[in-house]
Amino acid sequence: MSDVITVPQVRPVQPVLRFLRVVPGVILLAAIGYAGKLLEQNVGAYAKAHHWTFPSIEYVLWAIVLGLVISNTVGVPEVFRSGVATYEFWLKAGIVLLGSRFLLGDILKLGGISLVLVAVEITGSIAFMTFLGRLFHLKPKLTSLLAVGSAVCGVSAIIATKGAIEADDEDSSFSIAAILALGALALFTFPLIGHVLHLSDRAYGLWAGLGVDNTAEATSAGALYSDAAGKLAVLVKSTRNAMIGFVVLAYAIYWASRGQAQSVGNKAAFLWQKFPKFVLGFLLISVLATYHFFNKEQIGSLANLSRWAFLLTFAGVGLRTNFREMRKQGLRPFAVGAIGEVVIAAFTLGLVYGAGKLFGW
Amino acid sequence: MSGETKAVKKGKGWRLSLDTWAVLVAFLAALLVRFGVFKHVPW
Repeated sequence: MSDVITVPQVRPVQPVLRFLRVVPGVILLAAIGYAGKLLEQNVGAYAKAHHWTFPSIEYVLWAIVLGLVISNTVGVPEVFRSGVATYEFWLKAGIVLLGSRFLLGDILKLGGISLVLVAVEITGSIAFMTFLGRLFHLKPKLTSLLAVGSAVCGVSAIIATKGAIEADDEDSSFSIAAILALGALALFTFPLIGHVLHLSDRAYGLWAGLGVDNTAEATSAGALYSDAAGKLAVLVKSTRNAMIGFVVLAYAIYWASRGQAQSVGNKAAFLWQKFPKFVLGFLLISVLATYHFFNKEQIGSLANLSRWAFLLTFAGVGLRTNFREMRKQGLRPFAVGAIGEVVIAAFTLGLVYGAGKLFGW
Repeated sequence: MSGETKAVKKGKGWRLSLDTWAVLVAFLAALLVRFGVFKHVPW
């Protein structure tokens, strides 16, 4: 008798079902974002009509705050969660479309400056976070994940590095929680400090792009300051994102040399796999805009599409942030991350001031 | 008893990453604007 055990086949989720599952959450993102837009338009007008002194609050902040209130009071019901998670998709699509507002010459000029600043920021941040991890006796791979998260691009960098250096799930969830908590704080502290220091849009945009870790939070922190600062923050952050493959590769080689991770075979394929493709999309749209593939009205429409996509992202940033969940992760990685972030924020602010003096901004 | 396990192989089709989907959707939207399907996107 031959005992053949057939592993039951798991039925793949149909694409239509997968699509239907995200619909409620996307509608929630759109509703919160649109409510933020309506509040921006109406609250200021209402306060003015009643002679109240009320600060002008932009839709970006309204959308984030509405999301935060929902997430931290009633919570996000299960039915909405898959759709809410699409905020990263809208962020990336928004960044690609934003490329139409940059001429290639501007990207080369600003990108060149930001590339130098990004290289200094990445080197300095990794060195400091590694020192801090050793000082606090954190596990070496946890230190690597926190260093990559702070230096390059938050959650995506941590996930990419986790796979490459074969880190524990616990280490990566610790690092992700710390980076997300600090990103949420940066959303409110960066614009505040920027206003206190009277930073120009250019200086602030550069600082937000260099100093805030997660792309969604960097985009939001930039947009909270001004439209021009938001544009520049996205460009600088995208330059940082473009470095992800090189940093992850360096860590993979380091841990493989210590016999604690698999060695990397084809380095070019590894770099391509880790490279954020939306950066290429952003550049390509910018090339098309530079060579007049779109007319002026069409560029205006693409810019508006990009703003709609970001509107959903801002709502998602608020809905994704749950302070109770963050508290559960413990204080130590948060403390290391917080000290690191404060130092990196001061360091990147110094870089921006230095660049401003050098280029006469 | 021979404990032969016959795993049913599942065809693993290649899947596009979230990044790639975002780029494709953004380009599709840009083309729709470029060729006049969406004449004006308001804000």
